[in-house]
Formats: sequence, structure tokens, C-alpha cells
Amino acid sequence: GGNDNSNGNASGDGETYHWKFVTEEIDGQVQYEYAEEFAKRMKEKSDGAVTIDVYEFGGLGNETDQVEQLQSGTVEMAVMSPGFTGGMVKEGQLFALQFLFPENVETTQQILNDSEALNKDLRELYEEHNISPLSFWTEGAMQWTSSKKIAEPSDFEGLKMRTQTSPLILESYEAYGADPQSMSWGELYTGLDQGTVEGQENPIFFIGDASFHEVQDFMTLSNHNNYVAMTTVNTDWYNGLDDEMKSMVDETIEEMQDWVFEEQKKQNEEYLEVIKNDSENPTEIIELTEEQREAFKEKAAPVRDFYREEVSTVNGEILDKLLEEIEAAGE
Amino acid sequence: MIATMLIIMVVLLFLNFPMMIPLMVAPLIIMFIYFPTLDPMILMQQFSTGIESYVLLAVPLFIFAADIMTTGKTSNRLLDFIGSFIGHIRGGYAVTTAAACTLFGAISGSTQATVVAIGKPMRERLLKVGYKDPSAIALIINSSDVALLVPPSIGMIIYGLVSGTSVGKLFIAGIIPGILVFLCFAIYSVIYAKVAGIPLASKATWSERLQMTKKALLPLGFPVLIIGGIYTGLFSPTEAAGVSVLYAFILEVLIYRSVHIKEMPKIAKSTGLVTSAVFVLVAGGQAFTWVISFARIPQMITETILGTDPSAVYVLLMVTIFFFIGCMFVDPIVVILILTPIFYPAAMSAGVDPIHLGVVITFQAALGSATPPFGVDIFTASAVFNRPYLEVIKGTPPYIIMMFVISALLIFFEELSLILL
Amino acid sequence: MNLLKVVDKIILKVEEFILSYAVIIIALMVVGKAIIRESFGYSLPFADEVSQIAVVVATFMGISYAARKGRHISMSAFYDLAPFKVRKVLAIFIPFVSAIVLFVLGYYSALYVMDVQESGRVTAALEMPAYYLYIFIPIGFFLGGIQFLRNAWINIRNRDEVYLGTDAKDYNDQETKELEGTHL
Ligand code: NA
Ligand code: NA
Repeated sequence: GGNDNSNGNASGDGETYHWKFVTEEIDGQVQYEYAEEFAKRMKEKSDGAVTIDVYEFGGLGNETDQVEQLQSGTVEMAVMSPGFTGGMVKEGQLFALQFLFPENVETTQQILNDSEALNKDLRELYEEHNISPLSFWTEGAMQWTSSKKIAEPSDFEGLKMRTQTSPLILESYEAYGADPQSMSWGELYTGLDQGTVEGQENPIFFIGDASFHEVQDFMTLSNHNNYVAMTTVNTDWYNGLDDEMKSMVDETIEEMQDWVFEEQKKQNEEYLEVIKNDSENPTEIIELTEEQREAFKEKAAPVRDFYREEVSTVNGEILDKLLEEIEAAGE
Repeated sequence: MIATMLIIMVVLLFLNFPMMIPLMVAPLIIMFIYFPTLDPMILMQQFSTGIESYVLLAVPLFIFAADIMTTGKTSNRLLDFIGSFIGHIRGGYAVTTAAACTLFGAISGSTQATVVAIGKPMRERLLKVGYKDPSAIALIINSSDVALLVPPSIGMIIYGLVSGTSVGKLFIAGIIPGILVFLCFAIYSVIYAKVAGIPLASKATWSERLQMTKKALLPLGFPVLIIGGIYTGLFSPTEAAGVSVLYAFILEVLIYRSVHIKEMPKIAKSTGLVTSAVFVLVAGGQAFTWVISFARIPQMITETILGTDPSAVYVLLMVTIFFFIGCMFVDPIVVILILTPIFYPAAMSAGVDPIHLGVVITFQAALGSATPPFGVDIFTASAVFNRPYLEVIKGTPPYIIMMFVISALLIFFEELSLILL
Repeated sequence: MNLLKVVDKIILKVEEFILSYAVIIIALMVVGKAIIRESFGYSLPFADEVSQIAVVVATFMGISYAARKGRHISMSAFYDLAPFKVRKVLAIFIPFVSAIVLFVLGYYSALYVMDVQESGRVTAALEMPAYYLYIFIPIGFFLGGIQFLRNAWINIRNRDEVYLGTDAKDYNDQETKELEGTHL
């Protein structure tokens, strides 16, 4: 058996470190590739002193379990999406707001890199729970797939849209007149195939990987929000690292921002081609006109008030600051 | 670590401990010995995660529906109807059971739900016409396996995601192996019925058949409602389980009045008891999985056995063995999720077709959940039929041999899955 | 002694009530969700969560009930072949050790519940404190442990028969008796 003690506790020459890094995705998908690349770089920089075991999704339980495992120090590092911590750090739900970030994913990533609202204010809220988000990055813009064409808000009227069940997300789709439905992941492919639900949202690489395009006729390139992930560490553990190691981690986190942007871009572009070229299961790709986009944006805007009043615990302060930063980035 | 775990499990099991004890205590002991710095609380978290899966909800619901129907008249009417057509044919009931399991498994996607929903009524009838209990139960458990192979198969959907292969193609590729299993079981059933001298009913006249059909008209709404409901998108497979409870309730309580509404809590209590007995094992299995994954045991083992540059047949053989063993302990879905990424790269570089790999994996997962010593279907049968373990497994060897033969065919002839594509 | 019997009776009734209604609630939620969606196009956002809670409740609250009825699944292959005396010894030893295991599990799961409570985590749809759900795990383990102790005790008290649970005699002996009956 392997007797791995994962606490690198003292500094000095010859010290080795063995960490565990858990992700919400599986081999080949963006989060997992990120963690592997991170592990590789840390190993190189430390001349082999740091080894990181990367765990893909599945073995260690569900996403919420993984969050708790990070909090308790069972694992040192985790990629997590704020959606799965929305029951704990409510402000994290702001990433579910639609048409908040710019349509351009590169600009969005720039905002995620620089935002003080996220990297300072939101981080502090997470640190109350022993989780330190060291970076925020996009896995790509979210798109809609559906069995009926979606090009303007009225197309959503009565559409059975599979979403996650948080009140904020329900509110977002009800704003377009859709009927948001919950459906477990295991039933989604069949549910879309047989019309129990008629649409779903995900980044392109995930849609292609899970074959959802096989059972959907349309994909709207809505970029209605971004699938944002955070690289997080256990706060106590991170603070206990010696300065040299800590700056090595920080530096690598920083470098990884460009790397993961290229990785998600590559994967999303590749899968877009896969979906376009699947002639057995044709999927019509719909690009929104500026006018159509504005129509959605208008419907989505009031949901921000719902967020401020019903979700936020700080009266939307972080959202408002982020909005200013987004506006500044647009100029 | 692997040895410690196995010793704890085997010793406790053979002493006749309730199976939940070794499943829950082995991970705890491993944690104390090998990961003393970790908090055992994590295992508690996994207990609830194991049973929170939405798809699992179908199991108590189908048990509930079957309990209502067997308390009342529905299942007898259905079985009389079937009997009037096939009662005089050698092996007729057994073949019907296999067919019903295949069909139902296909739509429910859950081997456990199939054991319950088809197995419960069919077992009673099989016993009545002269089958011995172990052979009836073995037939039910193994025919239910096919659930994982015939579309829409949850096992294949998960494999499709993990491997990035087309779920639609996987569905098609599973058809021939699924039919092959059914044919083998059907032929065996006919031979068994002849050898065991199962008496035949006299052939029913057409007027008798008409009468049975009339009586079964409403109960026949069951398959129509469930199959039709799922394929038209009216509801999901799990919801179909719920709808079958509702339909059973309407028939028995409101129409036939053979069950009084006051009896419902009592029926539900028996459902709850069986659900608990099975689900504590699912919960324990999840904690077990957590420890194994955390300690990277699957990676450790496969690195040693796969070596460098293995041949396609060798990889498939190892896939067969590992999935078979894995599914003895834990839910097939979890095994597919954990083991697929470990074997997939080796299989690809050895030139195995990814669709074919998916079929082999799903097939093994199905087989593993029905073979002794462990296996979720065996537990379910033991709980639902309230029979001791030994009696549940006594009749399984012929089926396991047939399944092994088909496994071997799958390893050598990828055409079995790829020819329809 | 009488008081204990009354307490036992109350616990039994509560367990039976919880098991029954957990199953009925699951059925109502799953069916209700499907019917409401298809007829009104509206999704019951809490339905899935309520059913999942009911499953957790039924599973863990069922541990002691299944122990009482001798219905926990075990691999009885060797046990069934053993002579009366061996089965008698095992019937005392096994529930006793099982009880200890369940108490240990109960202890750790109680710690886990407190941890979740402290985190303030709420569930996604109902936004209900998550620990409400988990609290049934330690309760179930503790009640299960007590029941296993009782199973051990009844086998110590009654020398002539083997009990699988306080309400369930060993089927091995029953079958033998049936056979003897036919011979006579
Ligand atoms: Na399509
Ligand atoms: Na097995």
C-alpha cells in the first residue's frame, strides 16, 4: 500500500511535498488538464520536490463533498465552480447572472484576472470558510442547445429548459418565459432525446463531450454567461507554506491563467467543429444578432435586483463593484 | 493496504456479519491505519452521497408499485393473461420472464429496479408452476443484467461522457450483445424446463384467452404507460417508477378496491424496510470507493498489470477482469466512472475501438453486479424476496458460465458490437 | 422493565411511521413533479431535494428496524451450514460487535453533522440548512446500535433458540422443524 503523508511541514533542503488536487471534471476536460499542467510545472520548478496527485471527478464523491474535503484539508487544492458553493458563499452565485460579462471571452478573462471585487472581496468571503480562491478563470462561454430554435427571448416561451435548481437560476430562465426543469445528469441525455426536457446550457466542449448535440437540433451561440472555475486552496494549509513555496505556487497560478485560456479556447473550438461536422446528427448553429442579444440582455437585467435582494448577503456590493470593473474594461 | 482491506472484508463477511458492517468498517480501519491525519468524517459524508443519486430513486418506487400490485389483483391478472398464451409452451414462463426483464431493463435502465418490478410478480408465478426458488431467482437476477446493455443505458451514457464517444453509437452497439444474452437465457430456459420436468398447463382456448385479456385490460396499461411515457418524453425513467406507483394505486385502491387506502402505510413500511437494507450497502460502497480512490489503488494495480505496450486482447481481458471485480463491490456506474479513464488510454494505443470498449465495459459491469460473492442485484433479490443469501446464489452458475462465454466472444470478435454501426 | 417495553414500543412505532411516510413522500414528490410539469409546464423546484432527503431518512432510520426484523443482508453461506451451537455463539458475538461499530459510526457522523451545521451550508433548492438532512445519519446509527445490543441480549437470554433479530427467529431452525413435522 502507499503511505502518503501529505503535509509538507518544514522547510529546508531535501524537503519533499506531496499534495492532492481534486477537480470537478474528468481526464481530457479543461479542469483536469489544468490540474495536470499545474502539477507538471510545480514539479519542474521544485526540481521534483513537489509531487501533486490529480484526482478527476467521481472517486471522491460529488462536487459539494469535494468542497468539504478541501475545507477539512483532506485535499490541499481543488478546482471548483462557485455554483457548487452557492449554499455557503452566496455571493458566488453572481456568476450565474446572464449577460453580465462581455460577449468576448478574452475580455471576460481579463476582467476575471484583474477584478478586485473577485480577487479581493469575494476571496475574503471564501476565506471565512477556510477556502482561498487563488484565481478565477473561464472554461468557455455557456451556450444553449435546444430542440426548438432559440434566437430571441420569446422562443423560450414554455420551453422545458434543464438547469440547476438554485432560485437565482430559476429566476433567470423564468425571466425569458421558459419553464426551468431540474433533471439529474444521468438522465439528461435520454431526457433531451425523448423530449422530457427540451434544452440545456453548457460550454461547447462539454456539450460535445457528453454528446448532447446528438439529441438536440439547435445550438445557440449565446455566450449568455461563462462557466467560471476557481483554483482554490485550503486557507490554513496555504498560510502555513513557507515563503519560497508560497511564491512558487502563486507564480504558477499566475502563469496558468494564459495557459488555461488557450486550453479552453482550443477545446471549445475543436468541439464546435465536431458538432458542426456531425452529419449523422445535424445541429443548426445559431449566432445572435446584436439586436437579439440586446433583447435577451434587457430581460436578464432585472434578475440582478433579485440577486441583490434575495441572494446577496452584502446588498450586492460585490456585484456593483464588479459591474463598474466590467464597464471600465469595455471602454 | 489492499491486503488489509480484503482480509477485513472476507473475515467479517464469512462470519455472517450484516454486509453493511464490513462495507462501512473496512474504509474506517484503512483510514485509521494508513491516513491517520485525515478526518474520518469524510466517510460519513460519503454515506449520504452514495444514496443521494436521483436515478436510484426508481428502486424504492418500483418496489412500492410491485408491493401494491402483489397485495392486490393487478399482478395476478397480468400473469394469468400471459399464462393463457404461453402456459402450455415448454419453458414459456421462464422465457417470458427473461423477455420481460430485458424489455423492462431497457426502459428503466436499472438492474435493481428490474429485479424488483419484474422479478417480484414473476417469481411467484414461476414457483407456482413448479420452478425451484434458486433457479427462479437466478433467472431473474441475470436477465435483469441486460438492463445495462439495451438502450437507453445509463452505464453507456456515463461511459460516453468519460471517454468522449458517441452515446448514440454505443446504444446501437449494445443491441446485438443484448439480444445474444437474451437468446442464450431463453434457450437455456427451455432446456432447463425439459430436464427439470416442469409440468405444462393445458393449452388455453381462445375464448379463455379472450376472457383473460379482458380481465387484464387495465393492468396491461402498465407496460403501455411506462414504455409509452418514456419514449414519448412524457416522463423520465425515474418518474416512470413514480407513475407506476400512482397507476397501481388507482387500479387497486380506486378501481378494484382490493387494497384499502388504510393499508398503504403498511405496504410502504415493507418497501421502506427493503429499501433501507439495500441502500445502507450502497452507502457503505460509496465510502469504500472513496478510500480506494483516495489511496489511488486502481492506478497502482493497473500500472503493474498493464505494463508497456499491451496487446488489444490483453487490455480487453484485463478490462473484463477488473470491471467484473470492481462491480462485485460497488455500483456499476461508479466503477465505470473510476476505471474507464484508467484503461481507456491503454486500450486506444492498443488499437481497441472506443465503441467496442464501451460495450465490453458495460457488459462486464452488468455481469459483475449479478455474480457472487458480492453484487448489488444479489443483495436486492435477497432483500426483496426475503431469502437467505445461499439460496439466492445457488442457481446462478449456469448463467455465469453463459455470460463468461459471451464475454470471451466479445473480447475476440469486436464485430458483435460494431457490425450494426 | 415495563417502562422499557413502553419505550421500545414507541420507538418501533416511530420507526415504522418514518419508514412508511418516507416512501410515500418519495412517491408523491416524483409523481407530483411529473404531473405538474406535463399539465402546467411548471417545475416543482423542491421535489428532487425532498425525495432525496426522504431516501436518506428511510435508509438510516431503517437500520434498526431491519436489525429488529433480522432483515439486514448478510452472506450467510457458511453460517447456514454451521451447527446450532456455533450459530448461537455467532448470534451473540455478531450483533454485539455490530453494535460497537454502529456506535463508532454514530459518533463520527454526529461530528460531521456539527461540522456541516457550523459551515452554515444550505441546500440548493429549498435553501434549508444542510445539516437537517444529515442529522438522521447519527440517529439511525445509534438506534441501530441499540437494536443490535438487544439482538445480542435476546440470544443470551433465550438458550434454546437462535434469533436473527428480536422479532425474527433463525430460518434454519424453522426449516428443520417444518421438515421434522413432515416426518412425524
Ligand atoms: Na443534433
Ligand atoms: Na458480483
